[in-house]
Amino acid sequence: MTDPLESAEISEKPDTQRQRFVLDETGFDEVPKRFRKFYRKWRGPGDSLAANEVICPVCKVVIRSTRELRPGDRIYCMPCMSRLIVVMGETGMLEALVAY
Amino acid sequence: MKSKESGSAAVEVHDLDPQEFLEQVHSFEFWFEAVEGYLSGLTFGFRPDTVDITLPDLDRDRLITVLCNYCVGETAALEGASGLIAIAPNRMAKIFLSTQVVDEGRHLEVLLHRLRMLGVADPEAEMERRANRSLQLFKRRLLELVSSKDWEAAIFAQNVILEALEFTVFQNHARDADPITREVLLGIVKDERRHIGFGENELGRRLKTAPHIRARLGQVKKELDHLVLDTLEETMKELNVDAGEREKLGRSYLEAAARLGLQP
Repeated sequence: MTDPLESAEISEKPDTQRQRFVLDETGFDEVPKRFRKFYRKWRGPGDSLAANEVICPVCKVVIRSTRELRPGDRIYCMPCMSRLIVVMGETGMLEALVAY
Repeated sequence: MKSKESGSAAVEVHDLDPQEFLEQVHSFEFWFEAVEGYLSGLTFGFRPDTVDITLPDLDRDRLITVLCNYCVGETAALEGASGLIAIAPNRMAKIFLSTQVVDEGRHLEVLLHRLRMLGVADPEAEMERRANRSLQLFKRRLLELVSSKDWEAAIFAQNVILEALEFTVFQNHARDADPITREVLLGIVKDERRHIGFGENELGRRLKTAPHIRARLGQVKKELDHLVLDTLEETMKELNVDAGEREKLGRSYLEAAARLGLQP
């Protein structure tokens, strides 16, 4: 088991260059109200991830941010209580690894 | 779904301090506000206006067998989680487990209620009669680990193995279930998300500071693997899930074990 915090490639792009997002409610209801817009259900084949979204490897919920995500970002999956780090996957898509 | 921000300062959950995040998600307050979102307005796990359908006799009988086994699993988790509170290593884990005990008690109650709705006069006697042998053995072994005060092994057996099995099976079953069973199961799955996450993260943190524990967990996994996979296989057969899909479902708990560095 390698620690993703030690192996992740960190984004060198300044924060000001990142696309920003306003998050709307998604109907997700498994966390307290004030946090619900940060999560949504994966809708299966045909669904896709935006630049501010990544799938939680533990519980498969889509995690959302107000910022475009970059490798090295630390994010939280509240529905399954996981701390995660964003990495570039082998397919060239952003993925999340659990940072215990 | 999303649009570019127009300058307003949005609160970003991911900016929380890591310790603050852990305090928050392990709290009773967090649990209460979370379950309020999906349980309010439900009675015994389903909306009062959901229409029950009459199942053909064979389907009804198979559903009763499956629900009896779910009740065995939930009873194991209820007894296991409540026993684990005493040996939990810190306050956050104790409080989280107290919320899990409430969840498991609710699961058992709604499943027993569904069995009564299906015409089972004495669901607890029926549970005894129909319970899968592998699942009963798993339950016995889990409770032995709890009573021997083996925190890591018991959390692994309960919150990684058993909860992952339930999470996977209930999600799959809900897809083709009758409307009431579907609502009951989907409500349970929402609780299970917290339980599997707690188990994996708790063990992940322990293994980081005490990697020698991994070998012992590997032994527990080896001992329990066949019981879990037998139970999954038998339940999926009752639900008419084809062999290919059954194999895929078996992988989900193995993925969690692999993330913890426990090889197949």
